[in-house]
Amino acid sequence: MKRKILSALLCVAMTATMLAGCGNSSNESTDDKNQEATDDAAADDTADDATDDAAGDDAADDSAAGGDKLTVWCWDPAFNIFSMEEAGKVYQADHPEFSVEVTETPWEDVQTKLTTAATSGDLSTLPDIILMQDNAFQKNVISYPDAFVDLTDSGIDFGQFGEAKTAYSVIDGKNYGVPFDNGAVIAAYRTDILEQAGMKIEDFTDITWDEYLEKGKTVLEKTGKPLLSCQAGESDVIMMMLQSCGASLFDDEGNPALVGNEALKKVMETYAALKEAGVLVEVNDWDQYISTMNTEAVAGTINGCWIMASIKTAEDQSGKWAVTNMPSLVDVENASNYSNNGGSSWAVTANCQNVELAKDFLASTFAGSVELYENIISCGALATYLPAGESDVYAKGDDFFGGDAVSAKIVEFAGKTPSNNTGVYYYEARDAVATAMQNIVGGANVDDEIQLAQETIESQMQ
Amino acid sequence: MSQVKEPKKRKMSLERRHNLTGWVFLTPATLMIAVMSFWPMIQAFILSLQTGKANNLSFGDPLANYVRMFRDNVFTTSLGNTFLYLIIQVPIMLILALILASMLNNKDLRCKGLFRTAIFLPCATSLVSYAIIFRSLFSVDGFVNTVLINLGILNTGYNFLGHATSAKIIIIIALVWRWTGYNMVFYLSGLQNIEYSVYEAAKIDGASPMQTFFRITVPLLKPTILLTAIMSTNGTLQLFDESVNLTKGGPANATITMSHYIYNMSFKYVPTFGYAAAMSFLIFILVAVLAFIQMKVGDKRD
Amino acid sequence: MYVFLTIVSVISVFPLYWMLISATNKSIDVSRGTMLPGLALIDNWKSLLSQQDVARAMINSFKYSIILTLCALVICSLAGYGFEIYHDKGKDAVMSILLLGMMVPFVATLVPLFRMFSAAKLLNTTVAFILPTISTPFLIMMFRQSARSFPHDIIEAARIDGLNEIQIFFRMFIPTMRSTYAAAMTITFMNAWNNYLWPKVIMTTDESMTMPMLVANLTEGYVTDYGVLMLAVLLCSLPTIIIFFLLQKSFAEGITGAVK
Repeated sequence: MKRKILSALLCVAMTATMLAGCGNSSNESTDDKNQEATDDAAADDTADDATDDAAGDDAADDSAAGGDKLTVWCWDPAFNIFSMEEAGKVYQADHPEFSVEVTETPWEDVQTKLTTAATSGDLSTLPDIILMQDNAFQKNVISYPDAFVDLTDSGIDFGQFGEAKTAYSVIDGKNYGVPFDNGAVIAAYRTDILEQAGMKIEDFTDITWDEYLEKGKTVLEKTGKPLLSCQAGESDVIMMMLQSCGASLFDDEGNPALVGNEALKKVMETYAALKEAGVLVEVNDWDQYISTMNTEAVAGTINGCWIMASIKTAEDQSGKWAVTNMPSLVDVENASNYSNNGGSSWAVTANCQNVELAKDFLASTFAGSVELYENIISCGALATYLPAGESDVYAKGDDFFGGDAVSAKIVEFAGKTPSNNTGVYYYEARDAVATAMQNIVGGANVDDEIQLAQETIESQMQ
Repeated sequence: MSQVKEPKKRKMSLERRHNLTGWVFLTPATLMIAVMSFWPMIQAFILSLQTGKANNLSFGDPLANYVRMFRDNVFTTSLGNTFLYLIIQVPIMLILALILASMLNNKDLRCKGLFRTAIFLPCATSLVSYAIIFRSLFSVDGFVNTVLINLGILNTGYNFLGHATSAKIIIIIALVWRWTGYNMVFYLSGLQNIEYSVYEAAKIDGASPMQTFFRITVPLLKPTILLTAIMSTNGTLQLFDESVNLTKGGPANATITMSHYIYNMSFKYVPTFGYAAAMSFLIFILVAVLAFIQMKVGDKRD
Repeated sequence: MYVFLTIVSVISVFPLYWMLISATNKSIDVSRGTMLPGLALIDNWKSLLSQQDVARAMINSFKYSIILTLCALVICSLAGYGFEIYHDKGKDAVMSILLLGMMVPFVATLVPLFRMFSAAKLLNTTVAFILPTISTPFLIMMFRQSARSFPHDIIEAARIDGLNEIQIFFRMFIPTMRSTYAAAMTITFMNAWNNYLWPKVIMTTDESMTMPMLVANLTEGYVTDYGVLMLAVLLCSLPTIIIFFLLQKSFAEGITGAVK
């Protein structure tokens, strides 16, 4: 009996050793990481103290004291990661010891990791700097105020960025983000298709949605192609229209303001009319949306300026596209032809062990180096840093878009974009509005759906 | 007297010994589950009694979250969707998997390995490509519409994923497509424990394939069928991937599942972990009740 | 029957075919819906390697998945065997309770688990990857259900031959149940390989990245290169398919001679 129990125990022990064995292989790297994590925690207090009085100090001294490496989470090697590494090089020129270490992390994973770490109260897994979607700024900073560093007095001149862009990362009057990529809305059209309908790009510049609808009908009739495609179930077009007149889904106190929101109602009616006329076609996902442009199934698109990178993948369409501003809403206060969709900003996390270095790095690169923006324009990253727009590089024409200086144009658009209140509950509202829009397109009453959407948001805000 | 007692006593101790060995065998697994599943579950349960956003949680009315979910129209929609998938998809899938498994168990069949691998492929295929291809197959100008138009069934392309009913049907088709091969694996391996001579004897007795299937295969596979039924019920009630990747829950929440909504509440929206945990516990209760019924019906030893 | 099986097979294989085709085409052609092989495979391959450390992700995924599969098989089959062969009311009750362990959505236990592993300083390790799923009620139940067809005569005979219980398990049960082990191995490996939500929370460095994480990286940019993406997806799917193909003979044509 004893022997049998012994052998059974042996088996358990065996398994246990196996388990332990599994761990060994990766333990070394873990230990380093943990060591860092502990240091971080210790450094936190000092860093916080330093934040208060160190604004404008010579950061070079600080960097010598607290290591010269910054860790960063961001996504898209061709775009964000490339830009961050270029920024590292720019900063290295004056600070030879400095280096950035980027871990490629998709946005959704950044959000999941951030939420998990902040909820479990252990921020030590976070890097020094993360790239954050502008729309998620309010939500994350208000949910986890202790996870981010206030950059208001960091010596960064936020006045040099587009006002609407900066507003995304301002919470309670404090700056939490250094604006990065531009999400200014452009309307891009296929000039060759417009020509078939007897129109030019000028006919679509500074127009209203009513004019857009009429002209779209003509284009559809003569060429069989809709002017616009978008994803069903996503509210991008709706949110772009809303922001173009500075309207929001929330009031200043942060309460949902859908019912009685004239701008929203107008937006939904406009959308429904476009869909009804066939000037707008809905597809089911992003891949199909890109495909409508690449396969010439539509005569144009309206989106954040970053969409140009996808348009340009169809090299054989070079010279056939042109860029202008988006249509404006009719009979709505403060209507404009400018808006924003997407884009992201850099945030410094509370786990950053050398806040001064991070601040100085951001201040002298993304918020201070025209050279950087000149370097990264090759990947399509357009600045919201206004001085960069005056650079010669930005004034250069782009042959894909008929030799037009699109970069300068977009920086100009960004400067004219009205800012609006994203709202902490942005994603809740966005989904509720998308649901309402789908029902309206399916024939439901606009007012009822708006009412229902408001109730959904209110229920989710509990 | 003592001679009679002796073997009985020995037998007792033998039984106790075996009994003990049994406990030792299952200790490591049980311990791991206790630490890795039950402990977090208890914490999640405590969380489910708290209300509030992000880290500002408080114990107010402990049942508030549980009451709230039945007033939440998105959640009740997701509950309905999930049950619809469960009722329609699970039986179709399991029956199809059984039929395929018994076909592929035929010794005389050629190219068995290829067929088996082919049918298993869907669940090994990465979710990313499977989602892209399903969406493009059913898009307005996609393959399915082209075929239907050429057959004269439709005049113009139908937006399958844009309408509530057809989107639900596509989710069900996608689930059957993806998981039938997976369940087939269990049946195939279960069938190996049935002696082939039983089938040969049935053949000699003149039993039709149908009779063999219902009288021999199904009863003998009962333990495996129970396993797959519980697994599929659990998997469907926790369904997440298809809702997120195929339809994003749309159109207008017509296909959203409970787990998808729980994920949104935790990571997409302002984090509401208390409420998310409460919804998770409703799923837990539902699965537990269904599994209990299935065990009662199906888990009898002969 | 051949017709039916062929139709089912074709439907099942189609996405893999599409993946193969797409991996050989340029992104723009994939987006335009080509169904013919292209010439861009080598370019896609070079582009993928220049963007991502595929070898490292592959090695990581293999390391995590293989270790997890082996550990899980030993622990769970031992338990499944214990539950069935020595079954009594107490053990049946424990089994029922264990089953409850898989019924709470993982999203709900994610944060408590993360807290546990970060407190234990185990983030970014193999241990953290494998522990939460090393013992699953599902695998235990699978072995328990199949142990039901393991004849008790064999056990009795083995006991008379002087084998102890552990020896019976290793020398009699494992060889006899090869088909169950092969099936369990396939399924466990696949689940481990495709596991995404947990690694994405606990793996925070490039060094510990897995294949599904690598694929996710490719879909996140402003521009998705579909040719490169499909090549990566193909690489990510292949190991499971190969393992299935190699093992399917064992679990579908298991040598049941020992039982007879």
